[in-house]
Amino acid sequence: MSGLTSARDAALPADNAPGMGRRRRFWRDPSATEITVVLLLTILVLFGMVYPAIYIFYGSVKVAGGVLADTAGFTFENYVRIFQSGFGQFVVNSLFICITATLISTAVSVSAAYAFSRFVFRGKRLLFGAILFGQMFPWIVLVNPLFVLFARGGLTNSYAGMIFCYVAISIPFSVYMLTGYLATVPKDLDEAAIIDGASRLQIVWRIIFPVMMPGIVATATYAFLLCWTEYLFALAFLTKPDMKTLPLGLYQFFGDDSVDWGAVMAASAVTTLPTLILFLPLQSKLSAGLTAGAVK
Amino acid sequence: MRSSTRVLLAFGTGLMLAGAVAPAWAQEATLTFRFNDPDQEQMRAALDQFEKANPDIKVELERMAWKDARDQFLREAAVSTGPDVVHIAFVWAKEFGEAGAVLPLADSLEQSPPPNGLDDFIAMDLATGNDGSIYALPWTTDTWAMVYRTDLLEEAGIDKLPETWEELKDTSAKIHEATGKSGFMFPAGSSASGTLWFLANYYWWSNGEALVERKEDGSFGMDLTAADVTEAMDYFKSYLDDGEMPTSMLGVSDWADPAIIRGLVEGQNAIGIMPPNTFQAVLDAYAAAHPGEKLPFVSGPVPKGSETRATHLGGRMLAINANTENPEAAWKLVRFLAEEEIFTDYYTTQFPAQRSLLEEIEFAPEMEGYAEQLMHARSWGAYADGPAPIGAMWNAVGRGFGAALSGQRTTAEAGEEVVETVGKMLADGQ
Amino acid sequence: MRNDRLFIGLMLAPALLILAAFYGYPMVENVRISFTDLTLLKLKKGGDWVGLENFREFLGGREFGHLLFNTFVWLTALSVVLRLVIGIGIAVLLNSPVLKRFNIATLAKLAILVPWATPPIVAVIVWRWMLDPQNGIINQLLLSLGVIDDPVAFLSDLRTVWPAVVTIIVWNTVPLVTLAILASLQSIPAELHEAAGLDGATRRQQFRYITLPLLRPTIIVLGLTSVFWTFNNFVYVWLATGAGPGTYTNVLATETYIRSFVDFQLGYGAAIGVVMALMMALFGVVYFWIVGNKMAGEEA
Repeated sequence: MSGLTSARDAALPADNAPGMGRRRRFWRDPSATEITVVLLLTILVLFGMVYPAIYIFYGSVKVAGGVLADTAGFTFENYVRIFQSGFGQFVVNSLFICITATLISTAVSVSAAYAFSRFVFRGKRLLFGAILFGQMFPWIVLVNPLFVLFARGGLTNSYAGMIFCYVAISIPFSVYMLTGYLATVPKDLDEAAIIDGASRLQIVWRIIFPVMMPGIVATATYAFLLCWTEYLFALAFLTKPDMKTLPLGLYQFFGDDSVDWGAVMAASAVTTLPTLILFLPLQSKLSAGLTAGAVK
Repeated sequence: MRSSTRVLLAFGTGLMLAGAVAPAWAQEATLTFRFNDPDQEQMRAALDQFEKANPDIKVELERMAWKDARDQFLREAAVSTGPDVVHIAFVWAKEFGEAGAVLPLADSLEQSPPPNGLDDFIAMDLATGNDGSIYALPWTTDTWAMVYRTDLLEEAGIDKLPETWEELKDTSAKIHEATGKSGFMFPAGSSASGTLWFLANYYWWSNGEALVERKEDGSFGMDLTAADVTEAMDYFKSYLDDGEMPTSMLGVSDWADPAIIRGLVEGQNAIGIMPPNTFQAVLDAYAAAHPGEKLPFVSGPVPKGSETRATHLGGRMLAINANTENPEAAWKLVRFLAEEEIFTDYYTTQFPAQRSLLEEIEFAPEMEGYAEQLMHARSWGAYADGPAPIGAMWNAVGRGFGAALSGQRTTAEAGEEVVETVGKMLADGQ
Repeated sequence: MRNDRLFIGLMLAPALLILAAFYGYPMVENVRISFTDLTLLKLKKGGDWVGLENFREFLGGREFGHLLFNTFVWLTALSVVLRLVIGIGIAVLLNSPVLKRFNIATLAKLAILVPWATPPIVAVIVWRWMLDPQNGIINQLLLSLGVIDDPVAFLSDLRTVWPAVVTIIVWNTVPLVTLAILASLQSIPAELHEAAGLDGATRRQQFRYITLPLLRPTIIVLGLTSVFWTFNNFVYVWLATGAGPGTYTNVLATETYIRSFVDFQLGYGAAIGVVMALMMALFGVVYFWIVGNKMAGEEA
């Protein structure tokens, strides 16, 4: 184990030459069988992942009643209908709340994770465990007390309240996740920088941050999607139509006596799309790996 | 034409009233109206009329899914927030009133009573608390009825609608035999707000029994024995056991589930039971799939038992938040929403809860079963007066039936469990 | 050293303050409520103190063992293990150089995001349609392959309802594991594998002795937090089966919901919440004791 660690440390600076690293990665060409198996498996997996979503899209463009009736035909009427009922505003609300919450929670979590992974201090285990504690109660029992808190603080029906809520629910996992990543980033990096006279903040911002990028992107994606699909808290805290988020907008098509399936499917498609668009530029960061240059 | 004249008249009267009643120093009031049905646009249009007639009042519309509306409002009322006027189910009025969440309406009713008096409203018993205060104004009403696919009935050689529970079973079996399709198909799922609750109660009521009854000494108790519950379970289970209804129905709890609507629209099943707006959804979906064709549907009353035939009188009321800062403006809005024009011009998917207005409605031919069944609908009465929340009894009955129908328990075991659970709820609450 | 302490404090303070503000009062309040007979209707007046009555009723109740088994075995253990195994498998697959060569790695990663971006409520609905006995694609597929002779009502048959619910959960949550592991895999320098390859290690040995140990911290985090979420999650079971048929798929979280918001017994619901939190705290301690020491405890 210790041998491996030092091997990895030694390997890090060498990776600084991206062109070389990339060519050397394929030091052994995959066989034809391997290519076939991998491709087939990938297609199978991706199909399983995406098929239900295709079903949603299919339902959203069917005439009258979505997939209810087996009528042929193609229509955007369901989309028109949901946007007429204020769905555009829900998209804006969700984007604003979730992006802001993600940025805050990721920044806060990166700093906490750095402190946890790089320092020895009294009460560390206790604090680390305490961060998890919020996750131990089922959220449903917390909704009522939280509602009282939010209502007294004037935080219901407000962006600030929802952002606070979403930052708080995504921090525990983010801190854990990032501490896990940082455990794999060698401390030699920090030490080299200290010798060069860098301050701690500079180290975090200039050295750790780039190296951590794949982990940060994965964690931020998690935080974003947690907020994006959350509806239990949103349900209790947001009642004004112009403040509602996407999952609530979606939920309102499920009246008890009638369910507008066409609208539900269109709304679901609209809910999925922004995530993909947002992730498109980010995902290259996810694979950027260490090539960004760890020691510059 | 006639109705638009009336709107103008009402509008004019409203203006005059507003001018006469509102003192010059009246502050502008903003009300929030939480209206939970899908007809949001139509209601907004109605509220625009109200705002024109009452320039000093602004109304904001918001919506909460029915499933969450009760929890949310109780939560809000407890910390002095929430909408000013709130749309509630018939059976919530008493409990909201007694929880101090909504205003007693006595003063408002005295100062500006509805035109035809309170006796014109149905279900006033449910609007009145055990302390005698009136906590809400009945707004809309409906009940459930049977719906039939006429072409499948014909194909099976059936020329009259079943009258009793036994005939319903026979008809269902005949259709299954002759067409291979399902006969009576009902949502048999055990979710806490499932449909079986209604079916079970209809069955008991038609046989002269009830889950909750007020005894002579004023206390509440159970009128049913475990055997009665088991009998009802056996009856509904027979549809599954005899293969007339697919077992997938065990996973369906909502009366408006797509499986139910699609089954009727595509003719996979011949008989259903549902409220009028779900039936309307079936008719609309059929019309969309078969434009210009005659609708092969009729509605009919629910089956008779040994005593009578009965469904519940369902509906919604309007109540005013106990924390409202503008009780007068809120009452003005409630009065406006109970006017005839609301039901004729805006909120046309529901029947008004006023006898005088109900009489004027002309039911479409497919809807006649609902009109007839409305005569046989009963109030929840003792269920709402009693000590156990209806939602909790609903859950217990739904679970028990679900366990029996799915085979998790025998009908005898499940029947005993239901009697024991509900019996305990009633005893604990007194 | 004093500088360091200030720095540590500044780095930790925002996270800890936010968490204390958000969870502190509600958790204390929840514990207090669990000793009362508070109901939704009594929210305004407040409930009366009943001591341990709620706990006694819950822990001594007929359903307790059933709820425990469903929650631990079916809901948590099965779905978490499957999620980890499948998630890691897909990540390793997507990290294959073959995909990069054919330029479908990006496409694959976007596709993986789709189930994750689907709100649970929609995920359940779509799967309910796919699992439908009459029109569902899965029954049609199994019938045409000859695996089954008659359509199966997956979500209402006692034999299939749990596997079906677990499938929905895994589909909706596996992308998180995949993307997190993928990010970890991509921070492993290629040189490590290269060096091992030159030393004659097989691919399997490389995975076992290089990849897995480096993935370990991430897997520990994912495993631990997945357990917490799944254990406390009521959405999937509630929307897919409503805890039925009967009470067959009832779990602790759905029971909490039913007691609190269907039966209105907030005090009783709070007591279940406390019991659940204690179980998870115990689990957390044991988990860290067995597998977690490597991660945060290393230098502490």
